[in-house]
Order: sequence, then C-alpha cells, then structure tokens
Amino acid sequence: MTSATKPTANTDERVKEISNFRNALIRPELGGIVGTVAVFSFFLLFAFDSGMFNSQGIMNWSQISAQFMIIAVGACLLMIAGEFDLSVGSMIGFAGMLIAIFSVTLGWPVWMAIIVTFVIAVSIGALNGFIVVRTGLPSFIVTLAFLFILRGFAIYLPQTIERKTIIGGVSDAAQGDWLAPVFGGKIFTGFFQWMGDNGIIAVFERGTRKGQPVVEGLPMLIVWAIALVIVGHIILTKTKFGNWIFAAGGDAEAARNSGVPVNKVKILMFMFTAFCATVFAVCQVMEFGSAGADRGLLKEFEAIIAVVIGGALLTGGYGSVIGAALGALIFGVVQQGLFFAGVESSLFRVFLGVILLGAVILNTYIRRIITGER
Amino acid sequence: MTSITKKLALAAAVVAAPFALATSVAADGEKYVLVSHAPDSDSWWNTIKNGIALAGDQMGVEVEYRNPPTGDLADMARIIEQAAASGPNGIITTLSDYDVLSGPIKAAVDSGIDVIIMNSGTPDQAREVGALMYVGQPEYDAGYAAGVRAKGDGVGSFLCVNHYISSPSSTERCQGFADGLGVDLGNQMIDSGQDPAEIKNRVLAYLNSNPETDAILTLGPTSADPTLLALDENGMAGDIYFGTFDLGEEIVKGIKAGVINWGIDQQPFLQAYLPVVVLTNYHRYGVLPGNNINSGPGFVTADGLEKVEEFAGEYR
Amino acid sequence: MNPEHAPLIQMKNIEKHFGRVIALAGVSVDVFPGECHCLLGDNGAGKSTFIKTMSGVHKPTKGEILFEGQQMHFADPRDAISAGIATVHQHLAMIPLMSVSRNFFMGNEPVKKIGPMNFFDHDYANKVTMDEMSKMGINLRGPDQAVGTLSGGERQTVAIARAVHFGAKVLILDEPTSALGVRQTANVLATIDKVRKQGVAVVFITHNVRHALAVGDRFTVLNRGQTLGTSQRGQITPDELQDMMAGGQELVALEGSLGGTV
Repeated sequence: MTSATKPTANTDERVKEISNFRNALIRPELGGIVGTVAVFSFFLLFAFDSGMFNSQGIMNWSQISAQFMIIAVGACLLMIAGEFDLSVGSMIGFAGMLIAIFSVTLGWPVWMAIIVTFVIAVSIGALNGFIVVRTGLPSFIVTLAFLFILRGFAIYLPQTIERKTIIGGVSDAAQGDWLAPVFGGKIFTGFFQWMGDNGIIAVFERGTRKGQPVVEGLPMLIVWAIALVIVGHIILTKTKFGNWIFAAGGDAEAARNSGVPVNKVKILMFMFTAFCATVFAVCQVMEFGSAGADRGLLKEFEAIIAVVIGGALLTGGYGSVIGAALGALIFGVVQQGLFFAGVESSLFRVFLGVILLGAVILNTYIRRIITGER
Repeated sequence: MTSITKKLALAAAVVAAPFALATSVAADGEKYVLVSHAPDSDSWWNTIKNGIALAGDQMGVEVEYRNPPTGDLADMARIIEQAAASGPNGIITTLSDYDVLSGPIKAAVDSGIDVIIMNSGTPDQAREVGALMYVGQPEYDAGYAAGVRAKGDGVGSFLCVNHYISSPSSTERCQGFADGLGVDLGNQMIDSGQDPAEIKNRVLAYLNSNPETDAILTLGPTSADPTLLALDENGMAGDIYFGTFDLGEEIVKGIKAGVINWGIDQQPFLQAYLPVVVLTNYHRYGVLPGNNINSGPGFVTADGLEKVEEFAGEYR
Repeated sequence: MNPEHAPLIQMKNIEKHFGRVIALAGVSVDVFPGECHCLLGDNGAGKSTFIKTMSGVHKPTKGEILFEGQQMHFADPRDAISAGIATVHQHLAMIPLMSVSRNFFMGNEPVKKIGPMNFFDHDYANKVTMDEMSKMGINLRGPDQAVGTLSGGERQTVAIARAVHFGAKVLILDEPTSALGVRQTANVLATIDKVRKQGVAVVFITHNVRHALAVGDRFTVLNRGQTLGTSQRGQITPDELQDMMAGGQELVALEGSLGGTV
C-alpha cells in the first residue's frame, strides 16, 4: 500500500495499485465528514437528554452553524483562490451599522437601506481585491488594515450620529417592508405549527404565545446558508469559473500563462466574501432589530477555521465548499454542544484548538498523497 | 491503512475523555444558568462567578455561568436561547440591549422558565420581558448620583474612561455623571479599548492635551487600574478628583492611598447570589419578594474599608 | 523537414536591446511545419530573449517576424497564442493540486448549457484528456488524477499535448528536458517526435547537444546574441555543435582534460 504514495516513472505499475479507499480519502471533504460523524456521535452519546436534540436545541446549533456557513462559503472560495479576508468580522459590524443608520436615522425604506448597504459592502470588497492584485501585497496585510478601518467606522458613525454604539428600532422600520423578511423572516411556519399541534415539537406553556410552537419556523438565515453552500459548490466544481478559482489559487503565474484572468477572479472572490458578510449582517440586524458596533468580532477567524476544518489548504488551490459547510457545522455543534454536555464553557477553546490542529494535520497528509511529495 | 484507522480511533478517544468527566458532575438539585454580556477579558465578573458558585453550594443547586467570549450581544442572544433549550429551572441574565435580548428572554419565559434580570437593564424592561424581578443598580441613576456628589465637591469638568463603549449601559453611566454635574458630556468620554497599556496611554494623552480636567470617572477595574498607573506616571495622583464605578483590588488600594475619592459599589456579589437564592426558594416553597432589589449604588470611601479590602476581587 | 513547404515562421535580423545591453544582434531563423528546429546555446546566449520575442512577450527592437508569410506585430503573448504560437515554459503552466483534465482545459474550459446556465462539461473534458494522453503514451489512472502525482516528464507531455490540442502550429519548448532524468527525457523526446509528425513546427530550446541530436532536424546555435549558422541533420557532428555553443576555442583545451564528457 505504501508504494502508492511513491510516484514512480512507470504509470502502468501504478494504475492497479490505487485502492478505492484511498481514492475516497483524497477528497477535501474527508476531514469534514469524519469530524461531523465524530462530533454528532459524541453529542448523541453524552448530551442526548440535555435538550440539545429537542426542537429548540436543534434550532439553536443550526442557527449558529448557519451563521458560520454563510461567512465560511465566501472565505472558502476566496481561500481556494489563494487569498484571505480578515475584514469579514468588521464588515459584519459595519454593514449592520449602515443598515441601521440608513433605515432608522435617515428614515429610508428598509429595502433601500439593504440594497445600498450591499452595494457599499461589495464595493469595499472590490477595493480590497483591487489593492491586493495591484500592489501584490499579501491579502493578509491589506485586509487587516480594513479590519481596523471598518471596525473604526462601525464605532465612529453611530457615536457621531446618534451618540450611542447600538442603534435599535430596525424592527419597527422593517414592518411591512418587502425585502426585510427575505433576511429576517421565517418560512414553513404552518408546518411547524402543525408539528406543535401534534406534539412533535414543544409549544409555549404560558404567555401571549401559549400554544404556539417554541420554534416558529425555519429562519431565513438557515435558508441563506443552504442556498449559498449549494451555489458556491456548483460554481466551484461545475463551472468554468470554478476552474479559474482553483487555478488562481493553485499557481497564479501558471494560470495567467494559460489565459486565466487571475486578477478578475480574485477581485470577484473578495466581492463575494464581502457579499456573504453582508448577508450575515442583514440577517442579524433583521432578526435582532438593532445594529451594534461590536457585532462580528473575531468572526473572520471563525470563518477561516471552519474552512480549514473543511479541508481547504491555507496556501490556496484546494478545498471544497461542502467541506467548509461541514466545518461550520462542526464548529457550531461543538461550540453549543459543550454547554449541553455540561462541559465548562471555557474549555471550548481547547476543543476548538484540538479540532483545528487535527484537521490541519489530516489535510497536510491528504495533500501529500495528492501531490505525491514525501 | 490500519495506521489511519488507529490514528482516528486515538483522536476520538482523546476528544471523548473530557465528556466522560463532565457528565458525572451533574447535581440532583435545580439547575440555574447565569448569562452575562461580558467578554472573557473583563475580570470584574469573577465576583459574579464566585457569587453564583457560593449560592449554588449553599442552596444545593446546580449553577452555570455563560458569556459571549468577545462580548458580542448577538452571540449572547443565542446563548440565552441555548440555555432555554437545555431546560433549566431558571435563567438569570443581564439585559444590556433590549432590542437584541428581549426576544430570546421572552421566548424563555413563555416556554416556562423563570427569569431574573440582573446587573444591566432597567426594572421597567425586566417587567416587560416577563422576568420575575430585577436585581442590580440602575446605571443612569448611579451615574447621576455620583455626578451630584462630585458637583458638591467642586468638580466642573471630567474625563470618562469608557472601556466598553459598545455597551449602552456604560455610556449611560457617563451620561448620568455629566447630567449630575450639570455639564454637557461632549467629548469628555473616551473609547479606551480593553488593553491596559492602551487605556493608560489614552488617559495620559487626554490629560496632557486637557490639563484643566477636574475629575476622572472610570467604569470598572478594567479602566481604573491602568488609569491609576497613568496618574502615578504624570504626577496627578492624589491631586485630580478620581471616582470609579465598581471595586477591585487596585481600586481599594487607591481609595486607601487617597488617590481615588470614592468607588461606587453596586455589590455584584448580591446580583449573582440573591437571584439564585430567590429562585431556589421560589421553586421549593413558592415564596417570592414583592419588589425589585437594588444592589447599589453605595459609595465606598476611605472609611470602613476593612471588609472590602479582605474580599476585594473575590466577593466585593 | 519539408523543404518544398514555405516556412511557417520567419524571424529576420531580429535585434533586441535592453537599454545599453544588446541581447540579440541580428538573429535570423526559419521554422518549417513538421520540423523540429533545435535552438542551442549556452546560458546567456540570448535563447530566452529570442523565444520571448517569437512568442510576443518582447517586441523586437529591429527586424521582422513573418508568420505564414504575413508580417506580424504581436502586442502580447495572447496575440501570439491566438495566431497559433504556443510556448511550453520551463516553469510549467500546470497546477499540481488540480486534476489532469482540469489542467488540460485551464483557460479553455468546454461548456455545456443547462437551462440558462453554462456549466463546465466535465464528461467531454475527461474524455478528451484521456484520449490525448493515451495518444501520447501516458496511461492515466483517471482524468481526475492530480497533476502533482505525475512525473516531470509526464507533466511536460501533458503541457505539450494541451498546446497541440488547442491548435498550436508552432510549439516553443523552453528547456523541457533540463530538469529530467534519463527515462523521462526519453519520454519527452518521444512526445516531440509524435508532435512533429502531426505537422506542428517545434522549436526546441536546449543546451544539451545529445537531446538536440536525438530529435532535431535542423540546429541553430546562438552565441552572445548572434547566430553561428543553421545546420541540417547529418551535416554536423556532436563535437562541432558543442564547440560552436561554447564559442569555439576555450572549451577545446578544457574538453581534453574532461575526456569529452561535457
């Protein structure tokens, strides 16, 4: 078996020796799949009765995972294209603040606030990308600068305009708006009500919502996450553009020699990452009804961690959106599950570190098989 | 091939170990979860942790402390939802942003969990979300009271060192102080960040460019400790009027040394300890106090520091 | 070599100056369809500058380029590629982490329409890749095998097959054998031979006389930015070629002491 890892000049000898198992191993999603199975096995074993797997519990870690997924899809495609974006977390805070300022302070209709915010955020993404490809500076540094710039504005703008760092009242402004429910609404509410009526899920025991199910419907946050994962996966694996993403991150020079518009690909990926961060921000603002200057702190790293757990290489050129989505799921389930399992919550970071390390080591091993290096 | 399987099995065993440990800790009594808005770096909340731990021991109930690691209030909302999903007997939570947190808290109340609001928020908000009661110190009022006191001591201008600017309640303290003095807050509040070195340098820079400043107000040990160092460095210690919210080891020393004129003690211990006691008695015997509990403000000055000194940072 | 055909590409008196440095001082080379034209020269002889001029990277300071009898002014490599001049670089345009088939079609992805969307036609790409590779004598494990698992010689072959598949009439190979072992070199030389027989003009840059003699039809030696003449196969011995490359005399003495191993 070990001979399969050694590249030999004679291809004929090698053809028969590759086993199906090892073939299956050479997939970027493998780490994510193994991790997902392991994580769910543990929590089913140790936290089954804790409420983690009742309707509220499932909705809780699903929403956390969906949040991670939304930003992980953007970070994943960008990382495969060979770049990082450290400004994702600040972009979440900044974009959320823009919506609140536009809709509450300036009194614009919410749909217009959302659209203008998307335009501004995606333009900033484009600026990030443009600076990176023009100067040839590492994206790490350029986007680190934007991490501070955007966070700074997210604090400065509301302080200057409203003399506070949290702007509320977006929920009232969004009443009756046509675009707001696309981000903050819930679907399948009838189905959930039916499940509540039939005792499949718990219902409220008292108060004004007595008899309604504790989980009213499927939040649009989760719908967005699933949609972005599917779209991202199709773009990456099934289109010409996806091939360019791999090529741009695998070896930009080689890709240019083959006629791939590397700069365009990278800039578009920065824009897509900013788009994903804004989706996150809009869903959050619409759900909670307010924007805060500290929203999204450290989310850029959480996105990158999810992507790496999902099997992407930090060096670019290799990875999978499905893997990143599984990485986000693992991240969310572990973060929330440790509480249900009764583990001291400060240990969460230890677990995260262990999982991250394990994933990186596994990924390195997989890459060695692929490239045949020893 | 087998080596991979072995590695995976080993990794699995390592990951599983702490779970086995953790699940055996569960107690028989009622279970209460305290959710705060404080980031991990805020040491002041240690008193809260000790408070619920002591109450849990004394009452024979299981208690747990949870907080969003970065202080992100949207994350805190999820933690409240999660705490509700785990089906505890009661949730004790801060209400530092009504917009974000009222939804999850109302949902918890409606699903049959008793909630007590502590520390942040107002008694009115606590009533609106359907909580049993509010235990804490109304922030604006405390700031106002401090401002009135400072005005009596001849203060006309001040610097508010805000280390947690994204929390509205922090700003309310500064605003209350300004209103108590009867001056405009204006640019007298600085966003100091959480890093001690940065806080110290920002305070130095502010005092350097505004040497006429009469007083300094810090909002807790996070900003007070570096501010003490800053005053030590520029020689204004003992000269400038210095008041602070909350207590801590360094603050107590400062009060004793005469550098700090007073500390506003909101007695966080009570905010953590009393809700557990109240909830436990309510669940066991159905008894409930008829009113909100104000744990503060109390001004701590150089007189009668003994107990404070003994338990500073632990229970005080 | 087919002398009755017109030359596919003619480089006439090409001069290239970089500031005060004269990299090429009047080089003339013709390449015919179906021939392997070897361009020999020591390091710094001007080989790279010459092929970069041919492939549109540099514009010549003086001289003209005729392609199929027409005067050409390549603005950039893209023009040269679309005219049919493909370069396989020393540093390959191959991405190790990507599959052979993804690499093969990189920049020229086949698409099929499903509804309003264009999708990468993997079935077609895989089929073509497998066919082209087996034509070149490489049996892939599958089209999704990563290029990283191929040997250096195989990678060169993929790059050559790709250039030919996408309609290269002139194939410029920049030192394809310089980093390869004996067996892999033999594979690449065999690939060159196959390509030549398909009627493609091959410009084979090397400083290894043995490799040149193995497949070359004609040989042009560059030295210090000038041609030392073009010779037909069979009209020149390895030693003569070696001497010309080294600029003549100096090496003769050296070679004596090295016993003809250079």
